[in-house]
Amino acid sequence: MPLIHVAGSEKFEFEERLSDELRAIASKFVSLHLVDAAAELAIDPLTYEVIRHRLSAITDDMGDALKRMSGSVVVTDCNDFNAAIADETGDLILVGQYNMQLAASLDMAIKWTLEHRSENPGLRPGDMFFCNDPWIGGGLHQNDASVFAPLFYDGELFAWSGAVCHQVDLGGVSPGSWSVAGTDVFWESTPVPPVKIVENGNLRPDIEDMYLRRSRVPKLIALDLRAKLGANNVAQQRLTQLIDKYGPRVVKAVMKKMMHDAEHRLRSKLRSLPDGTWGAVAHQDGARAGDSNIYKIVLQMTKHDDKLIFDFTGTDAQVEGFINCTFAGVRGGIMPIIMTMLCNDIPWAPGGIYRCVEIISERGTINNCTFPAGIGKASVASAWATQNAVSECVAQMVGTHPQHRKAAMSCCQGTWDLALLAGVDQRGAPFVTMLCDPMAGGLGARVDQDGVDTGGQMPIPMGRIADVEINEFSFPMLYLWRREEMDSGGPGRYRGGLGGSSCFIPHDSPLHGVHLVVSAPGKALPLAPGLAGGYPSATSYDVLMRDTNVQKILAQGFIPGDLDEIDGRHEVLPSHVETDMAANDVYFTHWQGGGGYGDPLRRDPREVALDVASFRVSPRAASDVYGVILKTDGTADAGATEARRGDLRRDRIGEGAA
Amino acid sequence: MIHLDDNLTLTDDGFVTCAHCNTRLGENSHDPLAHAVKRERPSRDAGPGVHADPKTFTAREIVLRQFFCPGCSTVLVTEIVPRDEPSFRHWSLDANRGN
Repeated sequence: MPLIHVAGSEKFEFEERLSDELRAIASKFVSLHLVDAAAELAIDPLTYEVIRHRLSAITDDMGDALKRMSGSVVVTDCNDFNAAIADETGDLILVGQYNMQLAASLDMAIKWTLEHRSENPGLRPGDMFFCNDPWIGGGLHQNDASVFAPLFYDGELFAWSGAVCHQVDLGGVSPGSWSVAGTDVFWESTPVPPVKIVENGNLRPDIEDMYLRRSRVPKLIALDLRAKLGANNVAQQRLTQLIDKYGPRVVKAVMKKMMHDAEHRLRSKLRSLPDGTWGAVAHQDGARAGDSNIYKIVLQMTKHDDKLIFDFTGTDAQVEGFINCTFAGVRGGIMPIIMTMLCNDIPWAPGGIYRCVEIISERGTINNCTFPAGIGKASVASAWATQNAVSECVAQMVGTHPQHRKAAMSCCQGTWDLALLAGVDQRGAPFVTMLCDPMAGGLGARVDQDGVDTGGQMPIPMGRIADVEINEFSFPMLYLWRREEMDSGGPGRYRGGLGGSSCFIPHDSPLHGVHLVVSAPGKALPLAPGLAGGYPSATSYDVLMRDTNVQKILAQGFIPGDLDEIDGRHEVLPSHVETDMAANDVYFTHWQGGGGYGDPLRRDPREVALDVASFRVSPRAASDVYGVILKTDGTADAGATEARRGDLRRDRIGEGAA
Repeated sequence: MIHLDDNLTLTDDGFVTCAHCNTRLGENSHDPLAHAVKRERPSRDAGPGVHADPKTFTAREIVLRQFFCPGCSTVLVTEIVPRDEPSFRHWSLDANRGN
């Protein structure tokens, strides 16, 4: 069935409003705290820094609370969550250093709530709202479920706290809510617009039941819900203590100044960079299972004076599948890159940073889709691809500045190689989990150094992977290996960081197997481009081996270290597939590294020799891509390398090359 | 003079040149690679990092598209893209502002 517009769905699309406009709407029903500009000017630098750091510590405490209460490995061990504090009209004062994509749209959900919920059911002390509707905000796909709470002080709405984390299953056709065969949002978890889930400090059982009823693992989701309530409770207590100590006028003035400072300093940095326009494209192969088309997000970024304009005109129309993202995904693709590449020396106050940004994006495209387009994979599909294009443009711009250029980085891991496992675990309980090993993606190369191998991801500074043993303890799986993969970093004068691979078998499930959902584009073409001629990272590569002799090999006391050591049917998997793994099946998943920087023929041959010695680069790539010939002792042969590089240069443009 | 990246320089008189051999690549910063040499080859020529034949996954032809300095053959731009698409990786600089 084609995508047919749903009348009335516009209500749930975030509409940008000025803070004063929003204040006027909400003030009819709730008293909003207001501070004048004089209060901001009156703050002494010491008080400002003390309160600013205290606010940052509160955000950290929110993250700690969330981790300690959650029972999901995705949260406790992989940090796929975030927390934020916003002012009274929802402008973000700061976000935690966890998944910044998630937090980049919390302001949207808060602002929508102010506009649409202030009158009925109203905003009162002790209230909290739940939302997992990415058209409204608060996350990038339905699995990003957020809880946010108004903070009242002396009867006035003073600020907001918010927490969001990835939930492992919220229903939909496929386990994990990654419905790879889906064509629209009705295959997926039903988005829930902001609802009051806590009223006067009490969790509403009717709302909680409505939420949990959809999940395959409701107890785990219930625990995560309480973790988010706890994170908000921590914020509310700490913020109240802070206001008690310094007074609402001073604390609010600091909040406003944090955003003004971020805005002022970013504008100043932008003015120091040349005006210009930079173009990029980001692809995705396959929008759903069985689809072999390739889709593109086109970006033209213009920097004019102290402003950045992100124009996505030319991006493909929304598609039947689950890779689309809403406007929240566009913001989620922009903000983390700005913060890490342009604001590395500027406070991360998105409310101020957004003021320097204009977004031009046509509704009905794959990265600004309308209801009921499928968005089940939005966060690591079109939002991620948006981020790739933004990363490329911002890095090129920053790279022109003699000092700031050191912050430029080629694109990190171009996509998320999803492996979702579901079934019955070794304790006989139903389970669903997203394997977060790809959190160890390769970082992009820099202008003066290689990318960090399996260093993580730019938008998730605190991202991490669970120990192999934690995954094996928690889920019915046994690893054959998890390691960095040779040649997965984009070649260049400076090499992109390596991605990795995991290889595992089902283990100890009463069902003697597990259900597997795979979703990983970047197989027809790599998705993490390089810069300055640097090559892109490796492609994604997933192989399912059926009916293997792996149990026999293990019984003999050996652990296979390569697929070639296992006999069985070898299936190279497409981008999206859902299947079952039997006890003798082996799954190999290889996620991408980072893009390279500069011409690989200009890489120091000694570095290439070291890369080969440490299994980062293969001898074939050393010769064919880097033009480095190694001697039998593993060192670079200077004469042979010079000759080889000469041959490769002539091959590039013909005999006329020097 | 502005060093645009590892390979490109914008001269004070507005030309874009190769940072390694001074070959003029563009007459101005709005068409910076006008004189660069463009080549397209099968994507697997990018090396062993391209694991599988793209035909396994898509009917569209995927190519390794590169732009080189005609003087020293340094690679200036590398992308792996569908052949039927133009290159969207272009830039234009107003050298009179910033820095």
